[in-house]
Amino acid sequence: MELIIREKIKQVKKGDQTAFEDVVMFYQDKIYQHCLRMLGNQHEAEDIAQEAFIRAYVNIHSYDERRKFSTWLYRIATNLTIDRLRKRKPDYYLDAEVKGTDGLDMYSQLAADEKLPEDELEGLELQTYIQKQIAELPSKYRSIIMLRYLEDFSLQEISEILDIPIGTVKTRIHRGREALRKKLRHV
Amino acid sequence: MDCHKKALELMHKHLDGDITRAEEHELKVHLEECLACQKHLHELKRTVTLIQSTERIKAPEGFASKVMDQLPIEKKRVRYLR
Repeated sequence: MELIIREKIKQVKKGDQTAFEDVVMFYQDKIYQHCLRMLGNQHEAEDIAQEAFIRAYVNIHSYDERRKFSTWLYRIATNLTIDRLRKRKPDYYLDAEVKGTDGLDMYSQLAADEKLPEDELEGLELQTYIQKQIAELPSKYRSIIMLRYLEDFSLQEISEILDIPIGTVKTRIHRGREALRKKLRHV
Repeated sequence: MDCHKKALELMHKHLDGDITRAEEHELKVHLEECLACQKHLHELKRTVTLIQSTERIKAPEGFASKVMDQLPIEKKRVRYLR
């Protein structure tokens, strides 16, 4: 598939706009899913996912063909979702690091072991419950957990997509897994 | 307690495929005698499986054509020959 996409990108670079539609068709579900999981709102997700493809098109000449196209595209989409999240005050508040706690944020200070009341847990389907737990992770952990486990990127690729050192990716994936373990161990 | 902390670090390295043979051995030895850590690793692996079991979301109907409609109109690059 990478080969076909590579060919399509070459055509787009040469000015063939219709070739870009195939690129969109190929990645639309993944990019939309990523945006939706990051933003938790369908309308915003569609808006941002569309914007990501438009930016990819407009900037296609800056894409280096020696690298993976998906990594480049996710980087655009991820930056857009992060910008959008920053503009939301309540989420930003929860994501903000607490001074003097070495990277801890408000979220991790909330009791993670807290169990839902049993009737509430029973009322929710397992799928919905898992998705809710992922959605409630602080965004800096959520993005990495999704890129790794739902979108199958390597830690090195995640470090390129998010433009953060690989050591940071590792720390965050560890914390993200631990946070979810605490929330999902009882299901 | 410290030994659990070390084991925990090794578990995550193991999950990231980032562990050396010596560390893998160290973890194995610890797990054989520590039920709490065995349980912890099991829970971590199960967490990953649960995350991966969530359903995939599809883009809304007409997504691609909406993107195509918004693309800037291609301008032919005009070269002036002197």
